[in-house]
Amino acid sequence: MAEVLLSEAERTFIVHGIQDNIRADGRSCEDYRHMELETDVVSNTSGSARIRLANTDILVGVKAELAIPASDRPDEGRIEFFVDCSANATPKFEGRGGEEFATEISNILSRAYDNQGSLNLKDLCVIPKQQCWVLYVDVMVLECGGNVFDVVSFAVKAALHNTRIPNITVHADDNGRTELELSDDPYDCKRVDVHKTPSIVTVSKIGHFHVVDASMEEEACCLARLMLGITEQSTVTAIKKEGSGSLDPESIYDMMETGKRVGQAVNATLYQKLQEEEKLGPNKRKAGFLG
Amino acid sequence: MQRSKIFVKKTKKGSVLKVVREHYLRDDIWCGSKTCDVCLQQAAILEESPELESNLCRQPHYIVTDTNVVLHQMDILEVPVIKNVIILQTVLEEVRHRSAPAYKRIKDILTIRDKHFYTFTNEHHKDTYVERQPGESANDRNDRAIRMATSWYQEHLDIKIVLVTDDMENREKAKKDGITAYTVSEYVKSLSDSPELMDKLALRTSDKTTGGKAKFPEHLPLSEIQRGIKSGNYMQGSFQASRDNYLEANVSVHGSEKFDMVLIQGSHNLNRAVHGDVVAIQLLSESEWSCPSSLVLTETEKEEEEDTPNKENILKEKKSQVPKQPTGKVVGIIKRNWRQYCGILQPSLIKESTKHLFIPTERRIHKIRIETRQAKTLEGQRIIVCIDSWPRNSRYPLGHFVRALGAVGDKATENEVLLLEHDVPHTPFSQSVLSCLPEMPWRITEEDSKRRMDLRHLDICSVDPPGCTDIDDALHCRELDDGNVEVGVHIADVSHFIRPGTAIDKEAAKRGTTVYLIDKRIDMVPELLSSNLCSLRCKEDRLAFSVLWVLSQEAKIIDVKFTKSIICSRVSLTYAEAQMIIDDKNRTDTIAKSLRGLNRLAKLLKKQRIESGALTLASPEVRFHIDSETHDPIDVQSKELRDTNSMVEEFMLLANISVAEEIFREFPNCAMLRRHPEPPPSNFEPIIKAAQSKGLQLNVDTGKDLAVSLNDAQLADNPYFNTMLRILTTRCMMQALYFCSGMLPEADFKHYGLATPIYTHFTSPIRRYSDVIVHRLLAVSIGADASYPELTEKKKTHALCFNLNFRHRMAQYAGRASVGLHTQLFFKTRVIDEDGYVLFVRKNALHVLIPKYGLEGMVFLTDEKKRSPFTYDEQESIQRCGDVEIGVFDHVVVQVSIDRSNVQHQKLVLRLVQPEIPGFSVPSSGPPSAKKMKMDTS
Repeated sequence: MAEVLLSEAERTFIVHGIQDNIRADGRSCEDYRHMELETDVVSNTSGSARIRLANTDILVGVKAELAIPASDRPDEGRIEFFVDCSANATPKFEGRGGEEFATEISNILSRAYDNQGSLNLKDLCVIPKQQCWVLYVDVMVLECGGNVFDVVSFAVKAALHNTRIPNITVHADDNGRTELELSDDPYDCKRVDVHKTPSIVTVSKIGHFHVVDASMEEEACCLARLMLGITEQSTVTAIKKEGSGSLDPESIYDMMETGKRVGQAVNATLYQKLQEEEKLGPNKRKAGFLG
Repeated sequence: MQRSKIFVKKTKKGSVLKVVREHYLRDDIWCGSKTCDVCLQQAAILEESPELESNLCRQPHYIVTDTNVVLHQMDILEVPVIKNVIILQTVLEEVRHRSAPAYKRIKDILTIRDKHFYTFTNEHHKDTYVERQPGESANDRNDRAIRMATSWYQEHLDIKIVLVTDDMENREKAKKDGITAYTVSEYVKSLSDSPELMDKLALRTSDKTTGGKAKFPEHLPLSEIQRGIKSGNYMQGSFQASRDNYLEANVSVHGSEKFDMVLIQGSHNLNRAVHGDVVAIQLLSESEWSCPSSLVLTETEKEEEEDTPNKENILKEKKSQVPKQPTGKVVGIIKRNWRQYCGILQPSLIKESTKHLFIPTERRIHKIRIETRQAKTLEGQRIIVCIDSWPRNSRYPLGHFVRALGAVGDKATENEVLLLEHDVPHTPFSQSVLSCLPEMPWRITEEDSKRRMDLRHLDICSVDPPGCTDIDDALHCRELDDGNVEVGVHIADVSHFIRPGTAIDKEAAKRGTTVYLIDKRIDMVPELLSSNLCSLRCKEDRLAFSVLWVLSQEAKIIDVKFTKSIICSRVSLTYAEAQMIIDDKNRTDTIAKSLRGLNRLAKLLKKQRIESGALTLASPEVRFHIDSETHDPIDVQSKELRDTNSMVEEFMLLANISVAEEIFREFPNCAMLRRHPEPPPSNFEPIIKAAQSKGLQLNVDTGKDLAVSLNDAQLADNPYFNTMLRILTTRCMMQALYFCSGMLPEADFKHYGLATPIYTHFTSPIRRYSDVIVHRLLAVSIGADASYPELTEKKKTHALCFNLNFRHRMAQYAGRASVGLHTQLFFKTRVIDEDGYVLFVRKNALHVLIPKYGLEGMVFLTDEKKRSPFTYDEQESIQRCGDVEIGVFDHVVVQVSIDRSNVQHQKLVLRLVQPEIPGFSVPSSGPPSAKKMKMDTS
């Protein structure tokens, strides 16, 4: 991740601030920074969203395509993640530099989504054993400004919420052969229910305490962090520990509790904002990339 | 301003694609009206004060139409009275999407300045663009866009805007928006100055508006048909109505190995299919299969409803002894191939009635119900009618009047009819074509003479039918010092004048062939070329493409050479003149020698050809003597064949074969050749059967066998028998076709009739486009001309062959129709007894050929009450009455006359004179004309 150089004094200031539940930018330990969210930004995707948090800028596009269901899950669709770390985000991503980081992101996303509860994959099946929808989620890291994992997961959720899958009717003829017919009304489509999809909340341990949504400077002070996939219902769907430092069981427990609390709140707020945006309808002012 | 148009589509591979198109809105699209001073347009199209008197809308107004009006009421829009119409982009695009011909027609109207039709690009106008709303269908959106544009005009201009639409919902909504909206018929009716427009109104009744019970089963929707075809339940094919029986048809199934022809019988099963349509059919179970009835049925004039079941019952009579054919029924129409039909009005019993029946000239088309108030004026006229629809509850298709061609029986009108019916392009050549012609006076340039072989010293002459002005071949022959003979065939060098890619080339490629009617010639190339510059006229220097052979005295080819040349024909002869010179022992000039040499060689060539199995077939050909004043035929003669005919023919064949070999060697992939497929043995069954009835065996295993058995088939008591047999054999043959050598295996190149492995057309480039292409290929192969990309592209050549084959067939039919027309004119004032021969025996009729006039017709054996004195023996195909038996090939005497009981629809009627059947045959009206048939049957 992007390197920030900190002096010993700065480091002490940050650690001490967190001890007092007041961070360098005035937040408490469980506060997120402001985010800017816009959906439907790329018209030729099935659904898209862009989130900007501090300097982190993430664009997610979802493409729904027809494919053959996996043989072990014949009546389900799939969701696949692909992350691209643009070299614009940080010079470190140049060449193949971003690949490892990208795989890390997509791995944790796959793990967080890989459970029966979060997405109803059965809904994505068109004809069992023959046709299903595959949601290809493409994540673009446009700029790295800390807390990339969390922001990516929010953007994925928003993009899925924005996704419209064209409705398909299946005709079967006498010989059992099937034919798909596409509805010619562009408004005739189905949605993906994101009410139970997980978001990632990264809880960073700094000193003896932990914070969520660590800034670049805070990340530089952090030796161990826990990434939690958490749904609005406080279900933990994935957990991953990162960093060179070690964590004792007690603090893991504490950090999980914090993660759950924050995760529940942040998921709820995100969902509410998405609903609000949708209510604006097609006539909302678009910010796009120029705004 | 940018919007995006978003839609999803399914690709062929089955994946679903979301497509986004950027759509820009503008503020600089002008309204196109002269009254407007806001818009910055330079040449406004819509008039300042549109004059169109309508009872509904008395003030000046512009018209806006919806898509269906443009699609279905084009004949109205094309009328010169209808002016100042705004065609919205929405409408134009939908029309383009739905029907290419309609789109072309509306585009043509838009270019006519006097019509003041204006295209308003409403989809790109910032104020009239509408976006599709949730729950709105594409059609509803388009209707809304049309209303939006209409309202915009209404606000923008002081002139009234009238929206014409037949869609009730659209009209209601328009009225709510404050737009004046009418249906087409309301509006057209209100045009008090032009009541005749009402006739051109297309009758569209949807299946929903029921009146009377449904007479036909419903057609399946296209999606269901497609699914059925995929699953094999239905088959797709082109519908070909029978000429002789309106309740019978064949469907030639596309891409099925099991059934290529499926029979359809009975109006229920025919289910409103019209000749030429592409239909979906379902096979009936094998127990219901039937065979074509030998009945000849025509829709009679006063046919009652109850009559039809009777006739259908007749059709259904079980005939166990005849092998049954796959039989099916039409379940849906995939593509209507309706065109405009020529014909006449059937006189109505009620004079004032506006509903009339239209009788098409083409026998395979049903009568069409039309509405017209001009029945009085149209009586006795040939008119053109268009089919609009065929609802389930109507016995006849519904149509509307398009235009009148002229009086029935008038030759110009009748010629027009047969050109239209056979789709022969016969409009005068356009200016762009004429501008491709060389400037007059034309002379051979230095350049030409340098690159060509000068053959002007040779004694070349041409031999053609009398009155021929497009001479495309000339010949010469001279003895060489080494005892061999040099023979030259010189063909007009048309490709010198028609350069590839020019307008004249495209036009010629489209026309494909010159069409010869009895009194008219429709040229493929403008007259300056066909009758002057290309025509190898005598005593004039002309450019030619020459084939020069060195032949041994036994007519074996020793050497052949192709060259572009300059020739000067010494004399143009007719066949008769040439024959006279050959026969005149006193003439010893070079021309006479040359002709005798040619004649001798030709006989040798012919012998060789016959030995290798070439067929001599016959078809009755006739010549009319035309009165120079009235241009009516005054006499008919069958064409005489002389030695010289076959002399010219032999050398043309030789040239064609030599050229075919040459171009195929040089261009194995893209040579344009001509093939004549061997007919399947089943084709011969009727004549084998017919010959058997006279105790003769025909061997049809190979062409050679057939030729031999035809030669041996002679009957002492019937000298015409052999010719008849040859005529019938001709009908068993397949069509000869042009093709591209790269598209077929070499084994299929065979020309069956001529018994040669390879053949092409090289010798008539003035009247056939195929020859022009062959000339170009040959010129490239001898290095006399440059190639061009299309010439060597086999797909292009293949497509061209397809068109040429079609045009040739149509030209043949048109020619035959013209003969028929003149025969009819000839009998207008005559009632004559003639010798005839029975070609086929039908259940209720005899198909008789009258060789003298090359005329074929039906002698119906039933009287008005459908009783026949004859009994029909199906097995032997013989009609018996007492001890009189009439079978195939039998000689009969028939009385030929014109049935004038119906002034509008005169037809040739044949009545039996001999053998005499008391109470049925008519008395002889005089001895058959003394002149006996002479026909070369060798």
